[in-house]
Amino acid sequence: MARFHDLEVTDIHKTIRDAVVVTLKPVNGAAEEFDFTQGQYLTFRQDFDGEELRRSYSICAGKDEGILQVGIKRVDGGAFSTWANEELKVGDTLQAMPPMGGFFTALDAANEKQYLGFAGGSGITPVLSILKTTLAQEPNSTFTLVYANKGVNTIMFREELEDLKNTYMGRFNVIHVLEADAQEIDLFTGLVTEEKCAQLFKTGWIDITSVDTAFICGPEPMMLGIASALRAHGLDDAQIKFELFASSQPGRAKKKAVSKDAASGANQATAAITLDGSTQTIQMPKDETILDAALAGNMDAPYACKAGVCSTCRCRVLEGEVEMVANHALEDYEVEKGYVLSCQSYPVTDNVVVDFDQ
Amino acid sequence: MTEEMSLDSYLAQGGVLTNPMNVPPRYRAELMKLMTTFVDSELAGAAGFADVINAGPGIKERIAAAKIVLEKTDNANRVLKVMGEFGVDGDRYANHHPWTARLDRDADIGASRTDHDMRLAVFNYPLNGWSDAVVMNLLMGRAVAVQMAEFSMVSYQPLAEAFRAIAPIEARHAELAEEGLTKLVEGGNADGLQASVDYWWPRVAASFGAADSTKADSLKKMGLRKSTNAELRTRWEAEAKTVLDKLGLKAG
Repeated sequence: MARFHDLEVTDIHKTIRDAVVVTLKPVNGAAEEFDFTQGQYLTFRQDFDGEELRRSYSICAGKDEGILQVGIKRVDGGAFSTWANEELKVGDTLQAMPPMGGFFTALDAANEKQYLGFAGGSGITPVLSILKTTLAQEPNSTFTLVYANKGVNTIMFREELEDLKNTYMGRFNVIHVLEADAQEIDLFTGLVTEEKCAQLFKTGWIDITSVDTAFICGPEPMMLGIASALRAHGLDDAQIKFELFASSQPGRAKKKAVSKDAASGANQATAAITLDGSTQTIQMPKDETILDAALAGNMDAPYACKAGVCSTCRCRVLEGEVEMVANHALEDYEVEKGYVLSCQSYPVTDNVVVDFDQ
Repeated sequence: MTEEMSLDSYLAQGGVLTNPMNVPPRYRAELMKLMTTFVDSELAGAAGFADVINAGPGIKERIAAAKIVLEKTDNANRVLKVMGEFGVDGDRYANHHPWTARLDRDADIGASRTDHDMRLAVFNYPLNGWSDAVVMNLLMGRAVAVQMAEFSMVSYQPLAEAFRAIAPIEARHAELAEEGLTKLVEGGNADGLQASVDYWWPRVAASFGAADSTKADSLKKMGLRKSTNAELRTRWEAEAKTVLDKLGLKAG
């Protein structure tokens, strides 16, 4: 299982007003673990008011740059991204798991491929890593980037992209599509939708017939629109690589409320179990697991191994207390938030409230 | 850029998820079930088939059987790796259960699972010698091909990619079984082979799940299924029947 390692912040600078680029150096001999593949992400953890928060950010460095770098755009109300943008400084230590994710294709110097990338806002980070690495390692391949932003001043890595255009003249092209700022060419104004893509293909800005692989990273509606345009123009699912970016990460978890009425000794407990939006209240003996009680109540509760290994049966205790006798799957921070493996959990208090939907 | 869209409607419209961080709880549970079902079936299938290697009548057959055992275990490992990103300890998982365990050949469990693993019901029945194993492998191999085509389109991209890599390997296993069965048919004993077909046909058919599954709709909305159980089974029946017809055997 992946574990967290310490990383030292060796550089931090703004790329636009509300986004920072953070350079990190693994310490304690963990450098090898952080040998990433272009397009992968790091998952960080950080305590906020005593509660651990985890956030994933994509690596924006190319493989051949010899550095580990992530881009973090501040989102409104986002504890981690705000902290990273306003308080994080050189010399600080961050904790992250080794790189994960499969948003890449294998590179080969002999390839002569045409790649197409779509990025929306901070979705540029993994795409930037991919295009820098690809252009450096496949001298006969080309890369076209369609980059969607609100306006000129929210374009992350704008200068770096200009530099890359000069370095890889004829092999790298960027099309900036801006939502709010008018551009000389009408086509480059507005949102990157299915129709916009179709127009880019039709007008010859992008030769879709020769594209080998497309990478898409951005908000949900944009990804759907682009993907359906690509499929309509002959790309199959194996040629389209997605990375759904951080906007969809779950918000901050609330503390679990512990009901004050403690155990009263009798062997019976009342369990209110929520699954797929409906709640059943079940009388159960305290020597039965929450999962078995739910199944006995004809609820279609999820499970697989019943041995505390796979975590399929995970649920969250909202009230009361349960005892989890074995846990080989949940991590400490999940347990702190009240998550338990229902196949291993027995009620301790007379009343428990658990939820499989959280 | 700023339009809001709920994950539910994103998924319902064919969107894909790409890492454990953006997977909602109920989706996570159904995805884990899908993965454990595959892993348990592969591990149980490989474990059962391992016992049959020595029954192979010639070295070619034994090589084919050993290759199938190796590759099914490897395919389980590919999906275990995806489970690992959700916190599952793959090493422990692979050893938490006796995968060779089987019920009686006459046990009647329909499509139900045993209490302690998620292998498809069909993998709870013991193989009865070499030719029986070849027949089972052919029928189940064709079923896996249908299921892989379906699951290569699941909305969790890392798993879809794992299944796309696995699909051609599993397809080759069905081909090996067909070659093996062709040889057995040429060697006679059509009655024994037909008996094996009659035994395995309804059990493999049941592995597609109940026709009246209440889950189908919600799984479809999550992008974890495209076709219904009945549609997949019908597809398998047609394909498997064609292969059996060619060999002069009767579908169940």
